[in-house]
Amino acid sequence: MMLLYKAWLESRARFLLGLLALAGLSAVFVLFNQDVRTVVTDHDMSYVEYIWRGIFKGQLRDIYVILTLLLGLGGLDRERSYGTAGHTLALPVSRWRLIAARGLTGIVETAVLAILPASLVPALSPFVHESYSWLLAFQFGALWTIGGTLIFAIGFLASVLVAGEYSAAVAALVFLFGYSITTDLPGMEHYLVDIHDVMNGSGPHDISTLAAISVTAAAMIWFGGLITSRKDY
Amino acid sequence: MMDYVIETHDLSKQFGAFHAVSGLNLRVARNQVTGFLGRNGAGKSTTIKMLLGMTQPTSGSGLLLGYSITDPKQDLEARRQVAYCGEDKQLYAYMTVKQLIRFTASFYPDWRSEVAARLLEQFQLPPGRKVKALSKGMRTKLALLLALARRPSLLILDEPTEGLDPVSIEELLQTLSGLPADGTTVFFSSHQISEVERIADRVCIIDGGRLAVDLSLDEIRQDHRRITFSFSQQPPEHLFDMPEVRSIETNGRQVIVISSQGSDAVVERAKSADAVVVDVVPVNLRELFLGTVQDHK
Repeated sequence: MMLLYKAWLESRARFLLGLLALAGLSAVFVLFNQDVRTVVTDHDMSYVEYIWRGIFKGQLRDIYVILTLLLGLGGLDRERSYGTAGHTLALPVSRWRLIAARGLTGIVETAVLAILPASLVPALSPFVHESYSWLLAFQFGALWTIGGTLIFAIGFLASVLVAGEYSAAVAALVFLFGYSITTDLPGMEHYLVDIHDVMNGSGPHDISTLAAISVTAAAMIWFGGLITSRKDY
Repeated sequence: MMDYVIETHDLSKQFGAFHAVSGLNLRVARNQVTGFLGRNGAGKSTTIKMLLGMTQPTSGSGLLLGYSITDPKQDLEARRQVAYCGEDKQLYAYMTVKQLIRFTASFYPDWRSEVAARLLEQFQLPPGRKVKALSKGMRTKLALLLALARRPSLLILDEPTEGLDPVSIEELLQTLSGLPADGTTVFFSSHQISEVERIADRVCIIDGGRLAVDLSLDEIRQDHRRITFSFSQQPPEHLFDMPEVRSIETNGRQVIVISSQGSDAVVERAKSADAVVVDVVPVNLRELFLGTVQDHK
């Protein structure tokens, strides 16, 4: 339990900052939709399409992707650079437990960040005389959670494979960018799933695809754990 | 029969082509203060990290309180009874003193809250202050509090006085020297010879990743001698090739020999080459250390 507490303390600044950013921007997108529409989307589209283009497919999703990637960074390699790895590794707990605590905390935070816009959009819409389906919003919330877990796992693995926090962040971003470009290449849609499309609902999001994404994310975290468990500190 | 809390057998660690520790055979007896001396880069920290499972040995084996250091499950068991204060003295900067105590206590069922409270007061540590706002001396005291409140069988410290002011060093050394009486063995690395000499019962000197000296302070005082000879001409090259000679320093026709078994045999050998004995004095730890690591022999 205290390892979860430690993982929470280590990530809470990034998480709370992300929470504030997503909450604030979601509120702006909904409450000032008439003004925002003219800037970021087509004025004639329906409210539901505007929300999709602005939030679930648009700028907010991109911010969410970056936030979850940052949540994945950290761990024992960062502790080593801060000089606290010795204290952590001398505790009578296995490295796998340390990894599990960080992974679990990160996934919960990823889910909370995903659920936040999905909750705020239908909750705030009546204030501007609009309505948005709770069911639809939570479907996007679920897709964001699953996609976010994979992106968290990419950040998690990058922080194990690449020394230096900034280098790990850059490596993870480059990987994600490269992955997106690759999935857009002709014919690649048969072999690779564009995680961004899955998150906004325009890509495949059947149960088997979502399960495959979840298993891939779990495998990446497990692989990161395996490397950590054998690494010299 | 002597009971050892640390035993290593041909323990080695290689980083690429660099041999940080080479075939180390180290034994640390229970209920003593053992100083682990060596120059910077001699292999002290790497040895400690291998003992605590932070770094895997390239070859060899070791036992920490009877548990294998190369078996993760056994090493975890050992860590329940071992406390460690690292070289950089960094603790979780984002926690307060109170949070860190609560966090650490949760891992040790036999945590002694009354000891933690006493040390908190004795060390004048502010419970509500963030660790990042503590001085290095205060962080060292906090690390010591976290170590001692769990009543460890073994306390391992890596360069504990590094960066501390003289008052903090004094307080730390006094605390450490009293621990064996409470059943805690102390094993600490240092390159501060005077500190080791002050509180250690035994000293191990590591040089180039190998154990060069393993002696009690009493053995050093009783058996080791620094003998200064003066020769009328250049002394024969291999005159002091004797097992008891630890080091030789030649300065023209004057030769200084450090002997590990008194002075008689060495003096006899020197006299056979027409040497005049100028001086025979007991050796202190500094001389033994320098004689060992500078490899004058």
